[in-house]
Amino acid sequence: MILLPCPWCGPRAATEFAHIGEVSVRPDPGSATPAQWRGYLYLRANPCGWTSETWYHRMGCRRFIKVERHTETNEVRSATAAGVAEVPGTGAGMTEIPDATAGARAGGAEIPAGGPAR
Amino acid sequence: MSGQTSAMRLPPQPGEVINRGEPVEFTWNGRPVRGYAGDTIVSALAAAGERVFSRSMKYHRPRGLLSASFHDPGCMVQVGDEPNVRGAHRLAADGIVVTSQNTWPSLRLDAKAVNGLAGRFLTAGFYYKTFMRPRFAWPAYESVLRRFVNAGTVSPGTAHLRPEKRHAHPDVLIAGGGPAGMAAAISAARAGASVLLVEEEHALGGHLRWGSEADLAVLAELTGLVAAEPGIEVLTDAVALGRYDGNALAILERRHGGAETERLIRARAKTLVVAPGLIERPYVFAGNDLPGVMLSTAVRRLINLYAVKPGQRAVVLTANPDGDAAVADLKRVGVEVVRVEDARLGGDIVAATGRAGVRAVQVADGTSIACDLLVTAVGWTAPTSLLNASGDRPVYSPQAARYFPDAARLPENVLVTGGIAGDGSVEELTGHAAAVGAEAARRAARTAAAWIAATPTARPAAGTGAEESVRPIPELPVDAHPELFAGRTNGFVDFSEDVSAKDLRAAVAEGFRGAELAKRFTTATMGPLQGKLETVNTVAVVAAATGATIAETGTTTWRPPYVPVTLAALAGRAFEPVRYSPMQPWHDAHGAVPLVAGAWIRPDRYGDAAAEAANVREHVGIIDVTPIGKLDLRGPDVPKLLNLLYVNKWSKLEIGRVRYGVMCAEDGVVLDDGVTGRLGEEHYLMSTTSSGAATIWEWAENWLQTEHPDWRVHVTPVTTAYASMNVAGPQARRLIERVTKDVDLSNEAFPYMHVRTGQIAGVDDCVLWRIGFTGELSYELHVPAGYGLHVWQTLLDQGADLGIHAFGVEAQRILRLEKGHFIVGQDTDGLTRGFSAGLDWAIKLDKDDFVGKPELAWQAAEGSGPRLVGLQPVDPSVVPEEASLIMEGGSIVGRITSSRMSPTLHRSICLAQVEARLAGPGTEVTVRLPDGRLIAATVMPQHAHVDPDGGRMRV
Amino acid sequence: MRTSTNGHRQSPGRSHYPARYSAAELFRRGLVSEAWPPAWQQQPMKGSYDVVIVGGGVHGLAAAYYLAANHGITDVAVLDKGYMGSGGSGRNTAILRSNYLTPEGVRFYDRSVQLYQRLATDLDYNVMFSQRGHLTLAHSDASLRTMRWRAEVNKVEGVDSEVIGPAEIKQLAPFLDVSPAARYPVMGALWHPPGGIIRHDAVVWGYARGASARGVHIHQNTEVTGIDVAGGRVRGVRTSRGDIATPVVLNATAGWSTLISDMAGVTMPVMTSPLQAAVTEPVKPFLSTVIVSGTLHVYISQTDRGELVFGASVDPFTSYSMRGSLEFIEGLAGHVLELMPALGKVRLLRQWAGLCDMTPDFSPIMGKTPVDGFLVDVGWGTYGFKAGPVSGEAMAQCIASGQTPDIIAAFGLERFGEGALVGEKGAAAVGH
Repeated sequence: MILLPCPWCGPRAATEFAHIGEVSVRPDPGSATPAQWRGYLYLRANPCGWTSETWYHRMGCRRFIKVERHTETNEVRSATAAGVAEVPGTGAGMTEIPDATAGARAGGAEIPAGGPAR
Repeated sequence: MSGQTSAMRLPPQPGEVINRGEPVEFTWNGRPVRGYAGDTIVSALAAAGERVFSRSMKYHRPRGLLSASFHDPGCMVQVGDEPNVRGAHRLAADGIVVTSQNTWPSLRLDAKAVNGLAGRFLTAGFYYKTFMRPRFAWPAYESVLRRFVNAGTVSPGTAHLRPEKRHAHPDVLIAGGGPAGMAAAISAARAGASVLLVEEEHALGGHLRWGSEADLAVLAELTGLVAAEPGIEVLTDAVALGRYDGNALAILERRHGGAETERLIRARAKTLVVAPGLIERPYVFAGNDLPGVMLSTAVRRLINLYAVKPGQRAVVLTANPDGDAAVADLKRVGVEVVRVEDARLGGDIVAATGRAGVRAVQVADGTSIACDLLVTAVGWTAPTSLLNASGDRPVYSPQAARYFPDAARLPENVLVTGGIAGDGSVEELTGHAAAVGAEAARRAARTAAAWIAATPTARPAAGTGAEESVRPIPELPVDAHPELFAGRTNGFVDFSEDVSAKDLRAAVAEGFRGAELAKRFTTATMGPLQGKLETVNTVAVVAAATGATIAETGTTTWRPPYVPVTLAALAGRAFEPVRYSPMQPWHDAHGAVPLVAGAWIRPDRYGDAAAEAANVREHVGIIDVTPIGKLDLRGPDVPKLLNLLYVNKWSKLEIGRVRYGVMCAEDGVVLDDGVTGRLGEEHYLMSTTSSGAATIWEWAENWLQTEHPDWRVHVTPVTTAYASMNVAGPQARRLIERVTKDVDLSNEAFPYMHVRTGQIAGVDDCVLWRIGFTGELSYELHVPAGYGLHVWQTLLDQGADLGIHAFGVEAQRILRLEKGHFIVGQDTDGLTRGFSAGLDWAIKLDKDDFVGKPELAWQAAEGSGPRLVGLQPVDPSVVPEEASLIMEGGSIVGRITSSRMSPTLHRSICLAQVEARLAGPGTEVTVRLPDGRLIAATVMPQHAHVDPDGGRMRV
Repeated sequence: MRTSTNGHRQSPGRSHYPARYSAAELFRRGLVSEAWPPAWQQQPMKGSYDVVIVGGGVHGLAAAYYLAANHGITDVAVLDKGYMGSGGSGRNTAILRSNYLTPEGVRFYDRSVQLYQRLATDLDYNVMFSQRGHLTLAHSDASLRTMRWRAEVNKVEGVDSEVIGPAEIKQLAPFLDVSPAARYPVMGALWHPPGGIIRHDAVVWGYARGASARGVHIHQNTEVTGIDVAGGRVRGVRTSRGDIATPVVLNATAGWSTLISDMAGVTMPVMTSPLQAAVTEPVKPFLSTVIVSGTLHVYISQTDRGELVFGASVDPFTSYSMRGSLEFIEGLAGHVLELMPALGKVRLLRQWAGLCDMTPDFSPIMGKTPVDGFLVDVGWGTYGFKAGPVSGEAMAQCIASGQTPDIIAAFGLERFGEGALVGEKGAAAVGH
């Protein structure tokens, strides 16, 4: 039962979330070639290591979040709100892993006031 | 022995756990046996003089007590309808019916013991080398093999058990309630942590329980201290089954609610302390499985906990202080110890002989000594299951002759203490454990603070935040121990599977050179004990056979669960909810036949579905369509969202209008369909298929949140906020007029594909859609759910003279098929792209963008994929079963996706997917019926079989 | 390389073996206490091979065996980073069937079942194929319709499948709850008599023994660390035990297939997810058929040892972790009890996980790639074990002839670029 640090709800069991998949960039539908489009549809990096992916907090805040996870250890090192542009210097929507291994860094969450409400 | 209660029962012992004032009686293979409360099934039997409790798997050898613990391969029994009960752990209880397993005709005279004579031919993996020929004979061989399964039986009458589960969130979870676990718990609790202390045995204390007077005094003190700490919750007869990602622990409570009912606890521990102690290892030599051959811990348990004399004349092989203590215990209770072989001084056991039990033992110097008990104390296995799951790979220490955790590989939230970590006096162990407990509490507090800090909605932690300084954890000493695994004769390595050292050596010689391959080939460690007694000996024998060291050969890795767990405990009270509409009481009262549709239970029909359908065409019908997905959409950018999700155009939808739309996925495959109406300037109501309700909500959110976070749209699922019903038929308007206020229902004021809001049957805020899945004049009403039954009943009452009847899903399917409406997922499948579904009219490739547009553009250009067509068999009386194939010669060129007998046309009608070249109107195709008959059918000009122009809907 | 005339194997050539396996030979050796010779040889690793197969599971070993047995190509190395069969081959639930949905799928798996049927005699190794029948339950009218579709396609392709009702189901599996009041009522089932279970390890060992006897080198504990590609074609592989020059590399690595293909610069439509399974303590045999429920995501069989073997669908997220989860065994147990409520007192003994390389259309990726000499036999998702023999046979033919055999023509990597996916998705969501 992985703990995912939802930027809106805090650390929650992964069973509350739906795994959407690797973050992929949608090509411009007006100009994409079949090869580009089908690469977007089907090809995946599928790394054994750190990956950036989308999860959906289905049984929680119903937000889509972007998660950096290690696919072999299932360790999670960050979770940010999907689709929210990161405000330079503030790390908007970013939260650190609340893992004991991360050391005694208190105040990991750096969500600016009003962030979750958006 | 039968009838006797106390042939081997000793006078009261200082640490005994039996209550002599509370006798219990149960039956063993039909005969009554008496014991005391606190006895295990097997201790009661042993007290009564019984020595044989089971027969072995392959050779049907008699087996008795070996470890006298849960992990005793010879003590598996059937209790009532419960198979494979661990008889050396399960408490004796009044009235239980205990039988031996897999014995015929009786435990004593077991007919299959003849297999023992054939042992030289039944070598490891013998079955891979025979029974190949003739090919068709294997089933016969197999049925014989299946008869030899060594196990209990299941009963078809066992009730469906649904025990509750518990969720726990301890700061510190301690697996193992021996002296180390208890000391760690006390220390962690004193540091402010909430502690869950889990002990597999029936009481806390570990080896102290069967120890000396001094041990018992320490136990009493620790027990008092644990009881005095309110922060410690103790679970006995409970075991940590496994550690999973995120330090989630599965805990099995074996007794719950005063009964042998297993319960699962899911515990999210901030820190886990692993303190399981050590498991005593058997020794491999000829006759090592005979009843009367016991581990030192077994005889000490029997004597000290259950006051059972393990034998009369004993030979002891000892390599450690625990063996020496066993010698002392035996002497104290009057067992004649005829020989002590001290392995530290070169002593050894060569072989034990006997038939139903040990009669004699041959020792290192060659002498043979008559005895009925052989005790071995040759070393320990570290139960590293929870550590393996934490990433640990235990390391073998030749000096100590056992494996140790590799602390460097453990994550921060897992700590180790007790015998698994090292040796030492009780004081040294509890001192180590106390330091570990304090450190566990410190780390737990740190994790708690991090979790709170990472939770935006959490209140700031109330604590001071001041962290205790790290307390150093002392090193535990490691005692030297001789390496004793397999002796000089061949004996059993795996008692559950009847695998001998010779079998393992043969496997190595045949090429199965690693521990893993040899295990798989011989099935060593694959049985009910899962390696707890056999893993290290297996690795040692394979190492010796390959000439490698034990460290090179392998490590001890166990897969969860640590002990077997009932399916009932794992399942718990499975949460499988169902949904009913508010009109369900009416359906129940009117004979509705239920249809399971995903989570929903819906009326399939109330009587004759064809008649229900015909009534819609002739008069008026009403159907409960509450499960239809409904999304309330608000905001200025809703048209952008609709244009993106649907293949058709939405920019110019006027207030009060409704439009049908189809969604495709990015690969162009049809995803869902429904209608969306515009209720206000920035207010829309979208309907989806019933099965797509949740999916499409998430689909819309996904696009909004990840691709277009700047669009101002708010999506609210309102599927169950409304009760939905469709009133359809020529009399629909007359009926609706009788119950609505403030809505002009005339065709001019409220035409087809329009939406109105108003009052129905006195209920405000209802939505009326003039749409028609059935092809008739119809109104789909969405009323606040709490009034659903009232509106439904009112419509039925008011429509009585108009001939109203409720109709179910089956009638609706007939009607929609007559009308040629496809059902996503039935008439389309996982590869059906938009043009294949006949959506040429809807797909607007001139839109800038919509989901799946490129694929649909390419499909349009290529003309690829099959086509959905209306189809009618030439013989109107034949209804080809759905999924009947359309053939051309020997090739499959299509299939029937929907078929019914049309009550309107009195002929069979179908929808079918066919290759595009066969989709032209009038094409004759061949349908293969499931019975193999071929029939002819004609492709229709359009999907609709009834009223293709749609005049009936527009009146 | 020699071109094969067809895919059909030649004589089993038992003379290749140092010792033939039989009951008589067991008896003789038992009497005189004579040990068996090694089932395969441990050879030193050479600097070059005609063909290098990455992955020592059933696919890789079968391909090596058929290269040698059918095409006389014996200068072949099979590499595995662990021990042979330590991946999916040793972690699957050993269910065989051919009742797929698409004609190409049915033909392919039917060939595999045919090969499995005679594998014991072909390999001189008892792989214990128990054709006890396979039931796929339908709990909704939609699922029943899919069963009918599969049955119709199967019948046309000559595969024995039919839809049966609850009464017949109850006769085949008396412990099943077929009452209409069940939360997931059993409305019917696809009954597939040729389906069954097999001893998965024995298949691996039988192929290894057969391949080794014909000269194939099997290198265990040999991890591939790189693939040398120059001028658009394969030149060799680098391993933890040294480099090997070779013109042909076959990727037969299941869950890790992305990592191997990446080494050759070939991107694939694959996502790796764990597939978990579990086994119970043995109980006396009471279940003779294989039971599958797609709705409940569970499949159940009972081995000849009495254990119940359970499997499910892949985990709901991608991962290379094989640690297993608690949610899996909880859900599994709940679903098993929904089907067979009387098994509540049976105890789960062990859980494990394997890695599955899932493709978008639940069908494999087989054959050539844009890199000359780099072939793939991957994308096997949850159904790779069923296809071991036919995949080995087809890949051997593909390597030997340089042509893609018809039987795997539908499964090429290029189909994704062409948007021509295979239509197994509907039937294979829980495809056991």
